[in-house]
Amino acid sequence: MMRRLWRAGAAAVFVAMACAKPPAPAPTTPAAAPPDLARAADSIAAARRDSAAAAARADSLARAERERVRADSVRMSVQRMSADTAPQAVAGGLAAADSALLAEPIHFDYDKAEVRGADQAPLDRKVSVLAAHPRLEIRIAGNCDERGSTEYNLALGERRAASAKRYLLAHGVAAARVEIVSYGKEHPLDPGHDEGAWAKNRRDDFVVTKGAR
Amino acid sequence: MRGGWLAAVAILAVPAGLRAQDSGSAPVGVRVGITYTPGTRPSIAVLPVAATALDSVRATLLRDLDYSDRFELLSPPPTVAMQGGAPNYPALTALGTDLAVAVVATGGVAGDVDVQLHDVRTGSVRNRLALQLPAGGEARRLAVHRAADEVVRWATGSPGVAATTILFVSDGRLWRVDPDGAGLANVPAAGRPTLSPAWSPDGRTIAYTAFVPDGRPLVLQDLASGSREVVPGTEYGVNITPEFSPDGRRLAYAHGDENGTDVYVYDVARRCCVTRLTVGRYYDNLSPTWSPDGQRLAFISSRPGSPQLYVMSADGSDQEALARFDFGSTGQSNGPEWSPDGQAVAFHREVGGVPQVFVLDLATRAVRQITGEGRNEDPTWAPDGRHLAFASTRGGVRQLWIVDLETGRLRPVAATGGARLPAWSPRRTFFSEAP
Repeated sequence: MMRRLWRAGAAAVFVAMACAKPPAPAPTTPAAAPPDLARAADSIAAARRDSAAAAARADSLARAERERVRADSVRMSVQRMSADTAPQAVAGGLAAADSALLAEPIHFDYDKAEVRGADQAPLDRKVSVLAAHPRLEIRIAGNCDERGSTEYNLALGERRAASAKRYLLAHGVAAARVEIVSYGKEHPLDPGHDEGAWAKNRRDDFVVTKGAR
Repeated sequence: MRGGWLAAVAILAVPAGLRAQDSGSAPVGVRVGITYTPGTRPSIAVLPVAATALDSVRATLLRDLDYSDRFELLSPPPTVAMQGGAPNYPALTALGTDLAVAVVATGGVAGDVDVQLHDVRTGSVRNRLALQLPAGGEARRLAVHRAADEVVRWATGSPGVAATTILFVSDGRLWRVDPDGAGLANVPAAGRPTLSPAWSPDGRTIAYTAFVPDGRPLVLQDLASGSREVVPGTEYGVNITPEFSPDGRRLAYAHGDENGTDVYVYDVARRCCVTRLTVGRYYDNLSPTWSPDGQRLAFISSRPGSPQLYVMSADGSDQEALARFDFGSTGQSNGPEWSPDGQAVAFHREVGGVPQVFVLDLATRAVRQITGEGRNEDPTWAPDGRHLAFASTRGGVRQLWIVDLETGRLRPVAATGGARLPAWSPRRTFFSEAP
């Protein structure tokens, strides 16, 4: 955990440095070094810089592409009057244990969207599975209990999905691999009308959308 | 004989259970319910019709006038009300009414009728409307509703709301029903569920949230043709609570994404340009509703920790709390709708965890609790600014109810089981429309 954080932090510092002083030669290069050596060091630094920037660019391009595809799908669905369905996991490929870790929901306090302390461990386990399977992509679906208005719960469900996504991103998962959606109070797991049912229904569901194989 | 028509009058009387003040547990300092003051409403007699073909027209007219909640209705039998095919003015005067409504076939083409308002004291026709009634179906009902609304205007100075319809959501689908409970029909719409329908001021376009597999877009749908378009930018995130500006040129709504939910305005008239009005961080701003002059928006914000009623200028400036609340103790407030006369905002607020309909008086900023029995949510104003429709469980199942704020009279709208998120249409000024 700590190591992962450190690594993410170090990478961020490297990118920041690389961006801040693009033309500077590597500090280890002696001033009197032959021109071809300086050029070599320069090009190594540039290559590193380029690869970090390329990764960031690839993530943002991938994200933009996914958003474009998703927007097309939304417009198409509206024309075809397609109904939404409960999120369906992409079948197969992943070990059952990994699937279970990814699918484990997290829960929220009433009218709250903050990740609870007890739910950090399940989220950390998802980070590990996602790190081990770099092609996996997931959708986080925020849900609410039946109390409160239909419309406010749609906003609250979005906030719940967003806070889990923020947690995953802070732990090194690429933004393009995680999308969020709100179901408001439209998809209760437990149809009951008591605190037991409500507690179960205030949740984020996690569904693999791509890359299970 | 006299006993006979008295019985007919009695049938029109409101059942006592529905008329009763709607009281319940209320917080201190909030006035519950509305005082029912009979006797302030003028009497009006609906005269018998000569042709049996007009029986259903008369029945619809009678019900519309009853549901306007503005009259003490009399329905005297022919032997009392008529003499030689004309209104018996002395007999009507004896009944204590100054006004009488007649529906008269004018011959010639079938369906040509005159709707007349008689001044009983002067013994003359005060107002009249020549109608060509369509043969049947919705167009015929709408024509009669419009005539009824005219009669209300003649008698009281402002028109009724019979020629309107209410959109609502049930079982995730969009439906429409007229306020008299007739004309229930599915409105084919994108998404399942379809949520938060809203009317354009001309009644021709609706906006709603569609749950589709990859998103929660806002859809603009032409009612007559059924053609649909997605509001640009709402392909992403969650997009809710649309409401057209009173001039129909702009659409206010809430867009939520990873950075929270905020209020935006889309320029519908120019089909371009989205303006963001609020900037929330880790709280939500939603449910914008326009003042009738288009200058201000009331909306819901959870900035104080729970959703409460706020107001801002239409450019997003001058945001402030609109209805007083106590931090931590006032229940969640949601579903605001600005009244057509501009003087009030209806909304629902949780009282002891149960939503109840409230009306905020803008002049005094005082809130009045309207309901107390069952769960009562998502009030929507009739164009007359005195009736509210809302979803209520008071009858056992959730369905639409209508309350008249002037008299306190309550009635359920038939065939609306499971209803939520009602939206009352503007007055319908055109006949041909789908569905």
